[in-house]
Amino acid sequence: MLIERRWKKWVFFYIPLTIFVLGTLFPFYWMLVTAIRPDAELYRSWRAVNNAPFWTVQPTLEHFRDLMEKTTFPRWLWNTFFIAVISTGISLACGLLAGYALARLKFPMAGALGTSIFVTYLVPPTLLFIPLADIIRDLQLGNTPWALILTYPTFLIPFSTWLLMGYFKTIPKELEECARIDGATRFGAMTRIIFPIAVPGILSAGIFAFTLSWNEFIYALIFLSSPERKTVPVGVVSELIRGDIYFWGQLMAGALLGSIPVALVYSFFVEYYVTGLTGSVKG
Amino acid sequence: MGRARDIRLAYLLLAPALLLLLTALAYPVGWEVWTSLTDLSPVNDHPTSFVGLDNYRRLSGDPAFWRAAANTVAYAALTSAVKLALGLGLALLLARPFRGRALVFLAIFLPWAYPASVSVIGWYWTLSPPIPTAYSVFMGNMKYAVDGALGGGAWAFVSVTLFNIWRGSSFIGIFLLAGINAVPPELFECAALESKSAWRRFWLVTVPLLKPFLALAVFLALTTAFADLANVWMLTAGRIVYPVLGTHAYWLAIHGGQFGPASALSLTLAPFLLAVLFVLFRMFDPPDQERA
Amino acid sequence: MAQVMMKDLNKKYDEVHAVKDVNLHIRDKEFVVLVGPSGCGKSTTLRMVAGLEEITAGEISIGDRIVNDLPPKDRDIAMVFQNYALYPHMTVYDNMAFGLKMRKFPKTEIAKRVGEAAEILGIQELLKRKPRQLSGGQRQRVAVGRAIVRHPQVFLFDEPLSNLDAKLRVQMRVELKRLHDRLETTAIYVTHDQVEAMTLGDRVVVMKDGWIQQVGEPLELYGHPANRFVAGFIGSPSMNFVEMTVADANGALWADTPGLRVKVPPASAARLGPYKGQRVTLGIRPEDLRVATGADAADYSFDTVVEVVEPLGSEILLDLKAGPNVIVARVDPTVRAKHQDKMRLSLHPERVHFFDNKTELAI
Repeated sequence: MLIERRWKKWVFFYIPLTIFVLGTLFPFYWMLVTAIRPDAELYRSWRAVNNAPFWTVQPTLEHFRDLMEKTTFPRWLWNTFFIAVISTGISLACGLLAGYALARLKFPMAGALGTSIFVTYLVPPTLLFIPLADIIRDLQLGNTPWALILTYPTFLIPFSTWLLMGYFKTIPKELEECARIDGATRFGAMTRIIFPIAVPGILSAGIFAFTLSWNEFIYALIFLSSPERKTVPVGVVSELIRGDIYFWGQLMAGALLGSIPVALVYSFFVEYYVTGLTGSVKG
Repeated sequence: MGRARDIRLAYLLLAPALLLLLTALAYPVGWEVWTSLTDLSPVNDHPTSFVGLDNYRRLSGDPAFWRAAANTVAYAALTSAVKLALGLGLALLLARPFRGRALVFLAIFLPWAYPASVSVIGWYWTLSPPIPTAYSVFMGNMKYAVDGALGGGAWAFVSVTLFNIWRGSSFIGIFLLAGINAVPPELFECAALESKSAWRRFWLVTVPLLKPFLALAVFLALTTAFADLANVWMLTAGRIVYPVLGTHAYWLAIHGGQFGPASALSLTLAPFLLAVLFVLFRMFDPPDQERA
Repeated sequence: MAQVMMKDLNKKYDEVHAVKDVNLHIRDKEFVVLVGPSGCGKSTTLRMVAGLEEITAGEISIGDRIVNDLPPKDRDIAMVFQNYALYPHMTVYDNMAFGLKMRKFPKTEIAKRVGEAAEILGIQELLKRKPRQLSGGQRQRVAVGRAIVRHPQVFLFDEPLSNLDAKLRVQMRVELKRLHDRLETTAIYVTHDQVEAMTLGDRVVVMKDGWIQQVGEPLELYGHPANRFVAGFIGSPSMNFVEMTVADANGALWADTPGLRVKVPPASAARLGPYKGQRVTLGIRPEDLRVATGADAADYSFDTVVEVVEPLGSEILLDLKAGPNVIVARVDPTVRAKHQDKMRLSLHPERVHFFDNKTELAI
């Protein structure tokens, strides 16, 4: 490694890194301060005495209480969770099988199929929401969680297939060849040897898929209409903003609470998805 | 044993994924292409009729369309360039292990992991606060200054762009970091022996080695920005002062009920996407190669 | 315990014809080594026996069964891979037990067999560890152990020692040989290292470009190579080759080229008769050359100039030039030589080989 002088390390490493971290975290801090600021302080003039824009002297949990008791926020949490878990499950299962086939089996059209699955990831919801709205209406799935559970895999499957395919390719071929000689079928080698080894890859694909479906907005906005059916991202925006009235305290509280599951998932598995992204197995 | 059995297994394994994608992707795209040639609308009282390229013709004569298209291109180009630069910087910063790296990772990933629709409210609150807020006067002055200097809607453009960059650059950074990790460290060390200037090393070694990852990152940034609808919709709370193609189509279809023209509008994104895709595939082999 | 038969075996990939008309009969309890440069088809042949590659044409049988259409798991074989292929998520014990578990052996029997194998290989202490906690040599032992617990009909080894360092490789080579003497299971062993091939094999199969070049016991390959490729491949340093013209002089045949002229030894003379006036390749191993003394026949001696001296301790390798021809000789460590010295060499007349220039076959 290179030996660097100390000031250089500050200028080229610590200072930029600090700026990055502060930049990414400031909006969250801002949300937190707003969420625990009493209304009286929230809507006060800029020039008022004792104005403290970056912190509050009288923190309160009133917005959180309002959110849980006066709105359907707990329902939204449950809806989002339910939809995210099932669509992630479906997509991971499909992605595992398809990713394995593309990474390991030789068959005609393998390249073309792999590329086309990848390309579908790039078809944006903007292109799809109109026809899907029509289909959902025809199937009478509108305003049910199934509308989302069936549409989310359109972007989750290509994504997880692609990620898992990459991970499978980093696993030495000999492992499953050896398993097949040891007495396993091709399918058995896949489930008993390859999948357990691919756990970091599977976890990181699952985390990404979960995040993507937890955060999805457009489809949820279009397919769900009644307030108690909504997901967190849509509910917070559409139900806590009535006309021109913004319930700022509740909005921020909702924003913070609504993403705690995702934040938890990330902090637990941070090591996994970093290896999952870089992919590495040493036999 | 045999190839035949392998082939059968391969198709069997691919079947669920392909079936779901086919029904939920291929069919809608076909439907959309067809609809863009008709005047389909749920509020029609006459049967849907085939109108040929009328919808497209009407679009090309519509200044609002051209404005939205120009906005889209500017938005995509600007956000992609900035995200790439920041992301690359971030990736280089995080490339070496240091104490607390996992924590920094977590912080960096947060904007992406957070539901955009809710974090966007935080930004909205920050950048365009409602009148009776503690610091709304200050932000209001900012808005008038920016709009005054650059024309109406400029402040909205700035906020959407800022938000997109904030949310996207860390993801690009982590993506590129995966690329750096895939390059054998000897290559970087060897370069360090051969050239003393970090700047030259960056351009002569780091960038060329990362080229496939950079290409894919640019591609992801461009396509998501082109197709962006959610961010713009949310950050302006549905009151679009700064229309892009996506929001335009949303209004036409969901509020106006005009599926035909809206489909045509959505499909005008396709050439953009295909062009970027084409360039990408020219720059490096299909996706299965670049992780190897 | 079983014999392995390969009949007109062929493997074609899209463009490449990797294995061509291989016919091989491996006898019960025999240790056969397939050796050749990379890309010669030896690994592909082994993988066809394992069932990991499809057979394009021909037939393989293990015991009395034709196994062409049997999946690998039903062939009753065990294989050791170059990168060990230990399952990283299982302990050493589970790695070794995996094959038996898949075959639904009772628990007590599994424990007994794993215990036996661990004892033979001296890895009892490692059974609870995960592969990543093992050194290269230990991993190799586990891989071998995993193969022997199954008591298969045939062992397949695919370059199992290539990832080990030189010292360990020699040690493991000896152990493998001892193991085979003890278990007496038919084994097919693939390597690119001719020393491994010579030391381990009851018989050695030399392959090149998908063809079998020669099958034989190690000393047979060394002493009577069937063609120029085998002659050059077996033995280290390689045999010297010099292109020469066969000429008739004074009632005897002579091989002649600028800077080098030797008499054709009587043993070869009859076979070389038809080549009179034509060019052939003379082959002589470095160890069959020595510094000429007065007692050596002048007919088999020639003058050289020393180019490079490589003392190895037990012997010295000399790079010499006889006219324009480069020749390597292996001489006693007592020989004093330095760059540009003149030196007269003598060759061992019974150990001279001649090869046809066109077919490259031994004459």
